[in-house]
Amino acid sequence: MLGFLQKVSNYTKDAISAANYLAQGLSVTFDHMRRRPITVQYPYEKLIPSERYRGRIHYEFDKCIACEVCVRVCPINLPVVDWVMNKETKKKELRNYSIDFGACIFCGNCVEYCPTNCLSMTEEYELSAFDRHSLNYDNVALGRLPTSVTTDPSVKALKELAYLPKGIMDPHEVKANAKRTGDLPKNILKAIKKPSTSQQLSDNTIIDDKQ
Amino acid sequence: MNSGLDLELSFNQAMQGFGISSDIAHILWLPLPMLLVLIAAVVGVLVTVWLERKISAAAQQRIGPEYAGALGILQPMADGLKLLVKEDIIPARADGLLFTLGPILVLVPVILSWLIVPFGQNLLISNVGIGIFLWIALSSIQPIGLLMSGYASNNKYSLLGGLRAAAQSISYEIPLALSVLAVVMMSNSLSTVDIVAQQNNAGFLSWNVWRQPVGFVIFWICALAECERLPFDLPEAEEELVAGYQTEYAGMKFALFYLAGYINLVLSALLVSVLYLGGWGFPIPVNLLASWIGQSPDSALIQVFTGAAGIVMTILKAYLLVFLAILLRWTTPRVRIDQLLDLGWKFLLPISLVNLLVTACLKLAFPIAFGG
Amino acid sequence: MNISNSTELICFIILSTIVVCGGIGVVLLENIVYSAFLLGGVFMSVAGLYLLLNASFVAAAQVLVYVGAVNVLILFAIMLVNKKEEMNEVKGLKLRKFLSGFVCIGLLILIIRVNITTAWPLPGPKSIGEESTIRIGEHLFTDYLLPFELASVLLLMAMIGAIVLARRDVYFENENISPSNNIIKQSKTPLIADKSSN
Repeated sequence: MLGFLQKVSNYTKDAISAANYLAQGLSVTFDHMRRRPITVQYPYEKLIPSERYRGRIHYEFDKCIACEVCVRVCPINLPVVDWVMNKETKKKELRNYSIDFGACIFCGNCVEYCPTNCLSMTEEYELSAFDRHSLNYDNVALGRLPTSVTTDPSVKALKELAYLPKGIMDPHEVKANAKRTGDLPKNILKAIKKPSTSQQLSDNTIIDDKQ
Repeated sequence: MNSGLDLELSFNQAMQGFGISSDIAHILWLPLPMLLVLIAAVVGVLVTVWLERKISAAAQQRIGPEYAGALGILQPMADGLKLLVKEDIIPARADGLLFTLGPILVLVPVILSWLIVPFGQNLLISNVGIGIFLWIALSSIQPIGLLMSGYASNNKYSLLGGLRAAAQSISYEIPLALSVLAVVMMSNSLSTVDIVAQQNNAGFLSWNVWRQPVGFVIFWICALAECERLPFDLPEAEEELVAGYQTEYAGMKFALFYLAGYINLVLSALLVSVLYLGGWGFPIPVNLLASWIGQSPDSALIQVFTGAAGIVMTILKAYLLVFLAILLRWTTPRVRIDQLLDLGWKFLLPISLVNLLVTACLKLAFPIAFGG
Repeated sequence: MNISNSTELICFIILSTIVVCGGIGVVLLENIVYSAFLLGGVFMSVAGLYLLLNASFVAAAQVLVYVGAVNVLILFAIMLVNKKEEMNEVKGLKLRKFLSGFVCIGLLILIIRVNITTAWPLPGPKSIGEESTIRIGEHLFTDYLLPFELASVLLLMAMIGAIVLARRDVYFENENISPSNNIIKQSKTPLIADKSSN
């Protein structure tokens, strides 16, 4: 008899705790309903990528010395460096350079190790194509200057959450020249070097080149 | 008990004023409430679909449909229109007859069940004596349609989905019926009108939900399972069964399933409000309100107000429950099939039996509070 | 003859045609799934006939029990065991068919005879309509109590029998209910045990 009662009480406890957890879950869902939608109406609105965004790689043909460091540091040896040795000048002569963005993982190793800084990462991320072979960019395609969402008149550029001014959650209500919270990295560096004048520095006009 | 508005009587009298006999006036009257309720059901579905999409979006910090009409309110209409003009595909090796009959068998009982949903003392199609029992009986036809479409699709996923749906319906019908039985025992009638009338003596304090809290929870869980709503949407679990019995369906036949699902949800919510939340009753008795503002409860103004408030209250309560169902959808994960059957047979069934027994005891012990 | 009478007659003719044709179809159709679905249709029309007799509660119970439970279970069984199997040759099948047909026709003739010879009190007793639910309950718990209880005991026996047949290979040695034991016990249930052994 006691065992049965024990069973019943365990059963009831289980049911009550299950109901409790369910109520907790419901309250979480309910709480989410009053939060701001993070939707970006994509083709009409675009988020501004952060400063160190690793997008499509830009390449300057004239700076390249065909050293092939980028190929060696690439996880899959992706960049194709097409050069010939010029016997007379005893120098490498670069003919073609290409990266296949269908296979690239945008790790940025090539950019990191390039001795002449001829590779750089852009903020371009719209790399969709009907044919995957058209993602194999040659040196001309790689040399095109990236387009910026801030300069595109048909697009409303939205700041990401971390770049919004203090207290504002919705990027739609931000004025174009509003300053973001906190200092830029270079200003922080300056402040670390001169701790006594830090307050003064951050009050100065800070040129936010990106935002 | 005042009878409230009686539209049929007024219509009949108006028709007789035009020199039409009472019999023919009755025949003319018959299709009107049916049409009205059919339209109400479909509009209710459109609103529910819109709410579902908007609330789901809000729960996931999205916006949801926005461009079709203000706030995307016309989106369900656009969806329906799209399904209407889509090609009607019957798979090559499917059983054409059963494939077509299946969705109809799923939809018709659900729509028929609207027969008994009261929006006011006289605002329902037919106050049939077996009322709520009719709904239970009709909803038991549905699994046949599901099995039929599952079998006729000639597809493993469809068959499994149909079998799951039928198993689920059967196992949750029993606790559902038992919890309804407890309510029926208190109101001494199967008729939905009597069930509501018996709850509206003292405003929201006399609602059945206070006297039948366990029954209320069981009924709601079972109703969700019958509607195949999310914690129990195994028949169409997309990770396992693509879309269950709907897998092979397209166009209007798919729309019939879709419609049936949402009409069933609204219907279940309406019936919860009828059985447990006082139906058309105002939270504060209208008679009391009338006496506060010094009006006789039989005056025409109060009568019209009672009728309007009844419809609004019924719909409001039902949509609150729909909201809860949508919230539950985004809160609870799907249960496994063994958990589902365990819950139905080992948890809900014994508890609803105990609930029935306790209700019977209380009815004998306190006949005043529990409808002796 | 007024509108309601003629409607009733038309409904009766339609429903009884469905019942008779459906019943013949259930027996004669080759595809067993079709037979099962037709059986559901027959049950539904019988419920319609009850409705015509003003027995709405019986009609709803008919739908709930026969269509909603019995027919669905039959369909379930058919669909879960949907194996095309060659039937063993039965000896003297023709003779058996003939004999069973003979018995059935004999029964039919008997029923028709009873139908003709009985002096039906026409018109029948006045229908009690909505009251019938209460009346059925009263009868079930007073003068028909014994058959009612016997039927329920029979059903209980059938259920226990089914459980015993389905799970006779499972024994529980000790009834410990500590949570860890519970898990082990769960793994002993045939559903899961079957899966692991296969």
